[in-house]
Amino acid sequence: MLSSRLIGRTAVRSAFQKSTMPSMISARRTYATEAEQKDLVIIGGGVAGYVAAIKAGQEGLKVTCIEKRGTLGGTCLNVGCIPSKSLLNNSHLYHQILHDSKHRGIEVGDVKLNLDQLMKAKDTSVTGLTKGVEYLFKKNGVEYIKGTGSFQDDHTIKVALNDGGETSVSGKNIIIATGSEASPFPGLEIDEKRVVSSTGALSLAKVPESLAVIGGGIIGLEMASVWSRLGAKVTVIEFMDQIGGPGMDTEVAKSIQKILKKQGINFKTSTKVVNGDTSSEKVKLNLDAAKGGKEESLDADVVLVAIGRRPYTGGLGLENTSVEVDERGRVVIDSEYRTKVPHIRCVGDVTFGPMLAHKAEEEAVAVIEYIKKGYGHVNYGCIPSVMYTFPEVAWVGQSEQDLKKAGIKYRVGTFPFSANSRAKTNLDTDGMVKMIADPETDRLLGVHIVGPNAGEMIAEGTLALEYGASCEDIARTCHAHPTLAEAFKEAAMATYSKPIHM
Amino acid sequence: MFATRILRQAAQHAERTPSIKFLGKRSIPSSVDHSRAPHPASPTHSLPESWKQSSPSSTSFSAYRDHAQQFGPLRKTIKSSDAGIGDHSGAELGSVKPPSGIAFDRNELPARFRRAPLSVLEIEAVESGGAALFA
Repeated sequence: MLSSRLIGRTAVRSAFQKSTMPSMISARRTYATEAEQKDLVIIGGGVAGYVAAIKAGQEGLKVTCIEKRGTLGGTCLNVGCIPSKSLLNNSHLYHQILHDSKHRGIEVGDVKLNLDQLMKAKDTSVTGLTKGVEYLFKKNGVEYIKGTGSFQDDHTIKVALNDGGETSVSGKNIIIATGSEASPFPGLEIDEKRVVSSTGALSLAKVPESLAVIGGGIIGLEMASVWSRLGAKVTVIEFMDQIGGPGMDTEVAKSIQKILKKQGINFKTSTKVVNGDTSSEKVKLNLDAAKGGKEESLDADVVLVAIGRRPYTGGLGLENTSVEVDERGRVVIDSEYRTKVPHIRCVGDVTFGPMLAHKAEEEAVAVIEYIKKGYGHVNYGCIPSVMYTFPEVAWVGQSEQDLKKAGIKYRVGTFPFSANSRAKTNLDTDGMVKMIADPETDRLLGVHIVGPNAGEMIAEGTLALEYGASCEDIARTCHAHPTLAEAFKEAAMATYSKPIHM
Repeated sequence: MFATRILRQAAQHAERTPSIKFLGKRSIPSSVDHSRAPHPASPTHSLPESWKQSSPSSTSFSAYRDHAQQFGPLRKTIKSSDAGIGDHSGAELGSVKPPSGIAFDRNELPARFRRAPLSVLEIEAVESGGAALFA
């Protein structure tokens, strides 16, 4: 009895030890992890940041994403690609109903624009998508901190929380994905009412009588299209002698300029804006020929400054680390997205390469693969660009002027949409597909499309380019009839042989 | 019959070979050089000078780690690192016996070899000599 009692006590002591030990261990563990060191901390919840966070969650990393906007998705989802596409699509419908329905056999009554509703539709699409990203964070176990992050040292990020207060997180790996902001125009202050950036241009309170767009790149031309369709008299001022920005093939740029001019947009190319004056009722821009010459002025109710974007690193506390930026403010990285401090990596608009959401997305996946598996992949020679005007413009790979400049021999084949059956039935025959190939091997070097659905069609060109296809490979691939994609096939035929329908 | 065969052969040679080929399932290269290289989209196509000066012995920690030795190569390839201990045979890992003079503590054993934890009910039962079971 006594012995059993003793055994009982021993068991109890042992049980006591066992029951207290885990709590002691857990207390020690809590202490050890007090700094909450994560596998990965991402500063920025834009396309680069949120995609990296989701991918990291999928790969089993403990990940925190810090975003100060209060909604995820960054410029693209909140004040960029997504809201502009909503406005572009709906303004196109409005314009088409108004001007392009009668000859199609559709007679409509009084067509009115409800700008408030147009904006609400835009907001609905934005909210739906940003909330969707938040759901994906939860699904993939990503910790989301709403606040402004700044480096305290190489491993610690101080976060000023949006709801007040402060916290800090530390990570074994850190990714800078803070994106970009609109470049300001010197001497013309952006008030987002009369002088607007792309953000302000997405939510004007009323359709301006006249709109001047400084910069004929993709953003400028998309916004010019929106407000021109809604009734504004739009003038685009471009410093270079062609619109469309870097990368757009000259022939395509000329073609789209002609089409947009036909739609009512005025262009002043090879023209620079000397200065602007906002003191009177209208904003006055003083213009000069880019290479010196005739001076003139232009009055507009609203001026859109769309001269490009610059990397955004303000308040990030990079001075507390050894991370370097170049003369244009881009974070300097190596081929594995490592900054000078190897565990701090950087992707998206804030570093090298074109400022495109899909490029940021590719990099976000690659950087996580580098962290987790040591091997990632982005082909910078195969990143498509799309301009969502009507018709759309899209391209991938090399342009004719690039090849000429590099002294590389090439062969060109084109096919116009006016010879494509589907485009004809749609009564949308403006534009063409242009292919550039190596004359010896027939390997595809570039695809340039101006025409309906170009943004979707370029995916085929991108795939062909990524796989190193020849034009004959594309031409021998069966394309459904009647589709716009047949123009793609025929352009490939035109490059290595002859098209059938021309 | 013979002529047809010749014609078939000729046709076979004339057949076009597509540029797009199936390369098989993607796999991570067995050895990846992690030494620093300029980013492909870098406008200068070079790394800043200051980066080179800061690490005279090796270009990066990853590069160092790839060649580091600690009881043999620390990390030869990505493959072996990914596969972990499962990549090695038991014999390769050596004996599980402790060196002489060293004894393993019971608490170092995996949980399944340790004493099963007692529940509160069991403790009460022992304390009360079993009476708690009938209370």
